Amino acid sequence: MTTLETYPITVGNVTRHVPLVETLPGMRIPLVEFLGDPELVEEAARLLKERVPEEAELLFSLECSPVPLVHRLAQMTELPYVIARKRRRAYMEDPLIQEVPSLTLGASDTLWLDRRWAERIMNRKVALVMDVVSSGGTMKALDRLVQRAGGTVVGRLAVFQQGKREFNGEVTYLYEIPIL
Amino acid sequence: MRTYPVEIAGVRRELPVVKVGDDVAVALLNLLGDTELTEAVAREMARRLPEGAEVLVTPEVKAVPLAHALSVKTGLPYVVARKTAKPYMQNPVSREVVSITTGKPQLLVLDGADVGKIRGKKVVIVDDVVSTGSTLKGLRKLIESVGGEVIGVLAVFTEGSPRDDVIALGHLPLFKPEE
Repeated sequence: MTTLETYPITVGNVTRHVPLVETLPGMRIPLVEFLGDPELVEEAARLLKERVPEEAELLFSLECSPVPLVHRLAQMTELPYVIARKRRRAYMEDPLIQEVPSLTLGASDTLWLDRRWAERIMNRKVALVMDVVSSGGTMKALDRLVQRAGGTVVGRLAVFQQGKREFNGEVTYLYEIPIL
Repeated sequence: MRTYPVEIAGVRRELPVVKVGDDVAVALLNLLGDTELTEAVAREMARRLPEGAEVLVTPEVKAVPLAHALSVKTGLPYVVARKTAKPYMQNPVSREVVSITTGKPQLLVLDGADVGKIRGKKVVIVDDVVSTGSTLKGLRKLIESVGGEVIGVLAVFTEGSPRDDVIALGHLPLFKPEE
């Protein structure tokens, strides 16, 4: 096992020394993990809450790493939330299927949104929420799902922006993290 | 739409009854998107937490908000067993199980970085619904293979046949699909 270097990441009053991982040869990124870290989630949700547009009626995100953050943000803002899945489930009826246009960490993704959940988005003003945005491909796919479900995106929020974003849509983020 | 009424930890819900196979339908519990129910369940589970528990382990993804909420209430750390190995994982440990809700073989993966949180610890597994127990069995073996001791299983519901190896807040029957 290689010894991992770490990189300090700070959210509000919480600092984590996260591992630097090589995602592509010669490219290292600090790996932020919200899963399993309630303290980091709490601090990020507290700060992100201030950025949720007043008019937002629903939060929308995807599995899996943003889920605790979205759960907590939903509690704080008293808004409902919907999660797009990365696998088809046997119970899904007539799901919306959305390819993620860009590749993150070399893995291609497809998002699945059960019709029952798509109906909750219809005619709603929606804020997209992510933990980390890099190229923006996933954010764009969430954006597209909201449009297809008949909702309106009124905000795109992330805790971190990592590297350069290719997606043109405006994203509100709290901090930048570098690609080293 | 057919629904099945439940009351869990003082919260009432009408669960949609959905077909998952030719001959079987299930009442679908979805904690994702339901903060009120998640928090109520976490409060109730915190009261029933097996004594001596040191860490919570949950399979992704539907029980993740619950594990988070239970972690906050109990002060215990939690670890998520993922369903795919991620490129960034260090020395991942995995085990294959066959799930009835997907009908397909499914992987359970622990990041090597999380293994140290489980080794030598008393572990409580947290899940939303335990049905055939295939995920549970796989998760138990995975935890034991990295040196953790499973001292209990907390679930919102057992489903199908009642079982005494799970501390559940309720029980769900299986249904016949409607024509």
